[in-house]
Order: sequence, then C-alpha cells, then structure tokens
Amino acid sequence: MSEDRQYSSDAQRYMDGELHAPLSDTEQKDADRLMHAVQAYSEQISAPDSHLDDAVLDEIRKARSRSAGWRWIFEPRAIRLRPVWVPLAAAAIVALVWLGGRPGTSTDLAAPQATALGDTVFVRFQLLAPEARRVAIAGSFSGWTQDALPLVKENGGLWSITLALPLGEHQYQFVVDGERWIPDPRAHAQIEDGFGGTNSVVIVGPRGVVQS
Amino acid sequence: MKTFGRYVFLIAVIAFPSSLVAQQISVRAQLEARGLPPALVEEVSTVAADATAQGLPPDLMVDKAVEGWAKGVPQARIMAVVQQQARLLEQAHESLRAQGFDAPSGPIVTASAEAMGRGISAQQVGAVIEAAPTPEAAGPGLRVAAALSAQGLGNEQAVQVVTRAMRRGETPEEILNMPSYARAMRAQGMEMGQIGERLMQGSGAMRGAGPGPGMGTRPPGVPPDPGKRPRRP
Amino acid sequence: MELSDGTVVRRVLDGDVELYRVLVERYRGQFGKYAVALVGDSDTAADAMQEAFIRAYRSLSSCRDPERFGAWFHRILTNQCHDARSKRPDPASLDLVDLPGDDRADAATEQTELGDAIAAALAKLTPEQKEAFVMKHVDGRTYEEMAKLTGVGIDALKMRVHRARDGLREMLGGVL
Repeated sequence: MSEDRQYSSDAQRYMDGELHAPLSDTEQKDADRLMHAVQAYSEQISAPDSHLDDAVLDEIRKARSRSAGWRWIFEPRAIRLRPVWVPLAAAAIVALVWLGGRPGTSTDLAAPQATALGDTVFVRFQLLAPEARRVAIAGSFSGWTQDALPLVKENGGLWSITLALPLGEHQYQFVVDGERWIPDPRAHAQIEDGFGGTNSVVIVGPRGVVQS
Repeated sequence: MKTFGRYVFLIAVIAFPSSLVAQQISVRAQLEARGLPPALVEEVSTVAADATAQGLPPDLMVDKAVEGWAKGVPQARIMAVVQQQARLLEQAHESLRAQGFDAPSGPIVTASAEAMGRGISAQQVGAVIEAAPTPEAAGPGLRVAAALSAQGLGNEQAVQVVTRAMRRGETPEEILNMPSYARAMRAQGMEMGQIGERLMQGSGAMRGAGPGPGMGTRPPGVPPDPGKRPRRP
Repeated sequence: MELSDGTVVRRVLDGDVELYRVLVERYRGQFGKYAVALVGDSDTAADAMQEAFIRAYRSLSSCRDPERFGAWFHRILTNQCHDARSKRPDPASLDLVDLPGDDRADAATEQTELGDAIAAALAKLTPEQKEAFVMKHVDGRTYEEMAKLTGVGIDALKMRVHRARDGLREMLGGVL
C-alpha cells in the first residue's frame, strides 16, 4: 500500500470521532467521502426480519419433539461442576486429545518434564554424551555464558539440568568439555546462529515443553 | 566482585524477561557485564545507538553481540552479524509501515525481524500481527509460527494455524504450547499434514465459551445433525 | 421491564424454552446488520444467523457468563458468518462498479452504486478488518463497546479499523 493512499493519523482520529482540531480541506474531504459512502452502504442493508425468530423457535421445538431419547442433547442443561474437577478433567482430556495417550514415564529418555509455576515453567534439558567430561547449557536465558549452567551426569551417560524459564522462545546450545558447541536434537527447531553455527530453539508454553 | 556481579546479573536475566532487563540496563552496561572488550563495546553501542535514533529496538543487536562473544567468534564477524541485524530491523520496520501499521512497538518490530529472518514473508507477518487480539500477543504468535514452520508445517500453514487460533480466542499462552504438541504428535508417528490439521482445529473441545464451527460440544457417541434445517419463509 | 440476558438464559436452562425468543429478537436486532455486512448477502446472512442461534441454544449451558450472552453469541455468529461467506461464490468484481464519468446518474442511483462499491470492497478486507470496520461504521459502536463484545484490545481494534479504511480507500480511489 503506498503512503499517499493512507489516511493521515489526524484523519483517522477524526473518523474515530476523537479529533477536536480542524483538518486540512483535503483531509476533511477525503475522510468525509469515505464516511458518506459507508453511510450509503449502511442504509442499503437491513437486519433479517422477525421471521427468523419464528424459524429458530420452530427448529428448537421440532428438535425437542423429534426423539425423546436424544432430547438431552438438544436441551441445554445447566451443568454444575465442582471447581476442582474442571482443571483436572480438562488437563486429562486435553492430554488425550493432543497426545493420543499417556505421556511417557520418567524412565523414558524424553518424558515430559515440566511443571508450571505462574509465568515460569521448569524445563528439563537432557543430552546423551557418555564420553563427555563436562556438559553445560548456554543460551538466550543465560546471556550465553557457559560456566554457570552445568548439567549433571546420570546413569548411562545421560546429562541433565532443570531450569526455570519464562514463557516464550529460548535459543541455546550445549557446550561439551568447554569447547564443542552442539545443538539439542530434541529442540523444537534448529536455526542458523548467523556465525556459521546452529542454535536450538525451544518454545516454552504453560504446559512446559512436552516431549515424548 | 566481577564473578559475583556476573551471577547477580545472571539470576536477574533468568528471573526476568530479557526485554525488561534491557530496558533497565543500558546497552553499554550490558555488553560490559558480558566481558566484551572496550573496542567491541564501542562499535556495537554505535550501531545500537543509530538504531535507537531511528526508533528501532536495540535488543537483537545486543543479544547477537553477546552470543558471538560467548561463542568465541572473531570480532569482525560479530560486527558483520550485528550490522545484519540492524538491517533486518530496518526492513521489518519499513515493511510494517508499508502495510499500514502506524507505530509498531519495539517488541513487534523485533519479533517481525526475527520471523522475516527465518523466511516468513512480510505479508504473513502482517497477517499474524493483525489477527493478534492485543499487541502483546503478536510476538509469541510470530515466534510460534516460525517454530511450527521450521518443524515442517511450512510458512503458510504455520501462519494459518496461528491466526486461526488467535481468531478462536486462544490466549498467547495456549498458542505457545503448540510447538510442543506438534513435536509430541510427530514423535508418535503422525504426518505433518495430519499435525497441521489437528492444530487447525485447536483445543476447542475443552473450551467453556461458545463453540466455533466444527467444534461443537456434542458428547461422544451422539449421532450427527439429522440434515439441513428448513429455511425461513 | 426488560429481562436481562442472564435472567433469560437461566430460565431457558431451567426449562422455559420459549423464552429463548427474547434473546433471538434482541440480538437479531443488535447484530443483524453486522451479519449481513459480513456475509455480503441478506438471505445467506439470515441463514447464518439462524444457524448461530440454534448452535447457541444447544451450547447454552457452556456460556460461562450468562449476563454476557451477547458477547458470547457475537463470537458464534461471527464464526458462522465467515463460514457462510467462504461458501458463497466470489462477489462481483470491483471493475463492474464504476461511476460514469461526468454524466452523473440521479442521486439515488449514485447512492446505490456507492453502497455497492463499499460492499464489494468490504469483501476483500481481511476478516479482522471487516469485523472491526462494520462494528465501527455500520453498527456505530464505540471502541469500548467493541472491546467488550470481542475481547480484543482497543488499540488492536483501532489498528484494524484504520487499516480497513486505508484498504477501502486504496480499492475505491476512483469511486470515492
């Protein structure tokens, strides 16, 4: 869209009904032309008439009488759930809908490992590196400092760390033995870092980072 | 003292959103706290100051400088990338203005620049920003679109998934969950096409507010609608 | 005395089904033109509105705040209208809507042609722009009212309306 096809911000405010100072002649004419055209349009159209009310009620009555056995699906019932049920039911069903089954157990390499705490979520990062002597994680959440976030080695050469991260996107890499920067194969995406390397990207939502 | 200061800063960076920290600490101070040498601090600060003077946010440039230094990248290369970020920001700002966004905020320009840098077109970026119910929702929406695209959905479908979710009234937090869900579905063997469709439908089954089309609250086992209802006379 | 939305919803849920007519009449009046403007065709809009009312009735128990039935229904109606709109064939091309040069037809014809031009151009706006523009300029709502109906922030709504105006100007330059 070219700039001269845009209304000025004063003209926009005028059309919003929020400008109290006069516009230039040209701006005034331009704005008024649009408002006049819209007025013409608005007068041309009319809302549906009361036949619609009859049609809606007819349909509702017909549906109710169609089959007593299915009546309950057509009659909106007041459903009262105790407050504590709703989030648990929601969480369970959402998990089924989205994951199609139970999440992995904690012995799985890539089980979902996140708990929400307000706007911060605990996210567990893991790397299988049996030969490494030390592994750290460095990323946008730590100013890319590699010293401060060492992973802990567990059985089988699996290194892990749990971090409290704010919601949103985070870029990071693992640093192996203080010198090799490597991406996380379980990240959501890999992007070029601009320096010839690759950053891993993880998007943290309130449910954490669900991996399976 | 230097180490202590670094850890205090680290805790601050992890505890608070980076944009908030950036607002409170000047560009120069951030770069110095990261141990960048004076010459590099000077060069990056100059580019950042130019950007700020044009109304562009300096965050991307500062972040890239810090990242490059931590990774041991040569200074000349760091500056080349910093300049590249500055150009991306300018382009993003121009393109948003050309699409009629009057005064895009710093975070929106940053998110747009990043998205365009990852292959999302300017028009697609505009579509996400416009569909966002609040300005704060635009950034997360763009990042999720970029991530979904990189995960294999492709730009167009990724942007559609996000804009539809926004129109359905899903919150930014719910949208942030999408890349994780996509990943989980992929790991279970679903094809990207199927994943895209599931994401398009959203998590409407569990929303308490009124359903949109195709997301009715019909309980399982109930037969579908008997047929087209009669029109009004 | 007029019954509030909340009162009507609760009574319908308790079994007084005929009372639903109160809501149908109320919101047919309030949102009828909006539906026509979104869909672009009166008959199809009426069908979409009928469908929206039926869906709202069926899901009435899931309306979280019965006092704000209107806002909840507005979203259902908007979705239904977009669906109906997408199933219609393409609207007439803008090329057909050209005001004659200097030989102006009479005032009434000119008004009709202006209105037709707006209708054709509206169809080409994005869904968000069209919704916001119609609420602002066809329904005459304030931004505060629009925010309450849609749950969208006022700044975002203003942006959509401003872009819609620019878009219409771009499309209708010669006609306006």
